[in-house]
Amino acid sequence: MKIVIITPEGELYNEEVDAIIVASKNNGEYGVLPDHLPIISTIDTGYIKLEQGKLVYYVVIINGVIENHRNRISVIAEDAYIGDSKEQAFANLESIRAARVEENKRRNVELAKAERELRRQIKLTGAGNV
Amino acid sequence: MAALRDIKNRIEATVKTSQITKAMNMVSAAKLRKTERKHRTFQPIKKKVRTMLENVLSSNIDLRHPLLETREIKRTGYIIVSSDRGLAGPYNHNILKYFEQKVKETHASSAEYIVGTIGYKAYSFCKRKHYPLLNTESIASRDEVQFIDFQAMSRAFVSLYLEEGVDRIVMIYSHYVNTLTQQVREETLLPITDLVRSKTETISEYIFEPSPEAVMNELIPIYLDNTLYGIILDAKTSEHASRMTAMKNATDNAIEVVRKQKLHYNRARQSQITIELTDIIGGANAVT
Repeated sequence: MKIVIITPEGELYNEEVDAIIVASKNNGEYGVLPDHLPIISTIDTGYIKLEQGKLVYYVVIINGVIENHRNRISVIAEDAYIGDSKEQAFANLESIRAARVEENKRRNVELAKAERELRRQIKLTGAGNV
Repeated sequence: MAALRDIKNRIEATVKTSQITKAMNMVSAAKLRKTERKHRTFQPIKKKVRTMLENVLSSNIDLRHPLLETREIKRTGYIIVSSDRGLAGPYNHNILKYFEQKVKETHASSAEYIVGTIGYKAYSFCKRKHYPLLNTESIASRDEVQFIDFQAMSRAFVSLYLEEGVDRIVMIYSHYVNTLTQQVREETLLPITDLVRSKTETISEYIFEPSPEAVMNELIPIYLDNTLYGIILDAKTSEHASRMTAMKNATDNAIEVVRKQKLHYNRARQSQITIELTDIIGGANAVT
């Protein structure tokens, strides 16, 4: 069966898998094997374990919907990160989110500095009076 | 002599300005391409979420949810999507003018509506004009739009709606038609009324985990987040397009000004040379 994971940034994952296990805080844990009944469910914070032969991947999902229909599973998530283990996937998510918050903060400071500098320059050159 | 130097200074300044506007034009062009691509890749996702929500509704025709019900409108919430920075031509002005007009036409007193703003321009405008504001500080509208930035606000609006603080939420934003044309548009975010409930056999076989109600309670906020994000992407795309066009015009104008100034400069130089020449000739004539 096929699984497609989509985030607002685009497609994250699109592969054939043998089985998946969905675990989420709100709905608990369940597995989906090929020819599972059509199902729609939501994930607030959780992960999906993807099994593909011997390979196992974990995808962390934030605010997502999962739909299975005729062996096509589509997951739409607000944020999704992939890793080799559950811990790694979560760590990935944490680090990326933290980096973004840090980046936003840094930018705010830089912007404020630049604005102050601009105002000082304008005063200095008397550009407003031209 | 002084006039000559003045003109020269002005030419230099104008050339520098045109370099800046040209750089800004190119930056906007690059950003526009990026945002436009994002906007395009997002469309199928938006559609997919919508289809899912419609599926849930179709399989449970009797399912009711407060976010889907229209009620008597006592108070309207407006969300204005503008930009953080200016120099984008008529972009912000058009949106704010439209909003002002709209308020004047539909509302008698300021108790009938409340405004939420995205972007610094709309925030300072509403503050200056003393419109009732929902957010106490400006919500930044960054160039690279991130889903996470607006989620908190989207949830705040939903809870305000559920508490019956407002009975309708309208978004006012600039829709991207193409690089040269952007249209100010309004779209009703809440209540959601345009979903189609249709009974088809493929849908009714779905299992909902844990229940249709629970799935819908989760799905509607996700749908709203998506709609809002889509609108903000749209607005952002038109902001870049508008800025690009404005900067292109500014560059063209600057070049035109430089051309005219050069003409003046050359004329002044010429006349100065003529004066000097007549002086010399006059002097030479006096000697002989």
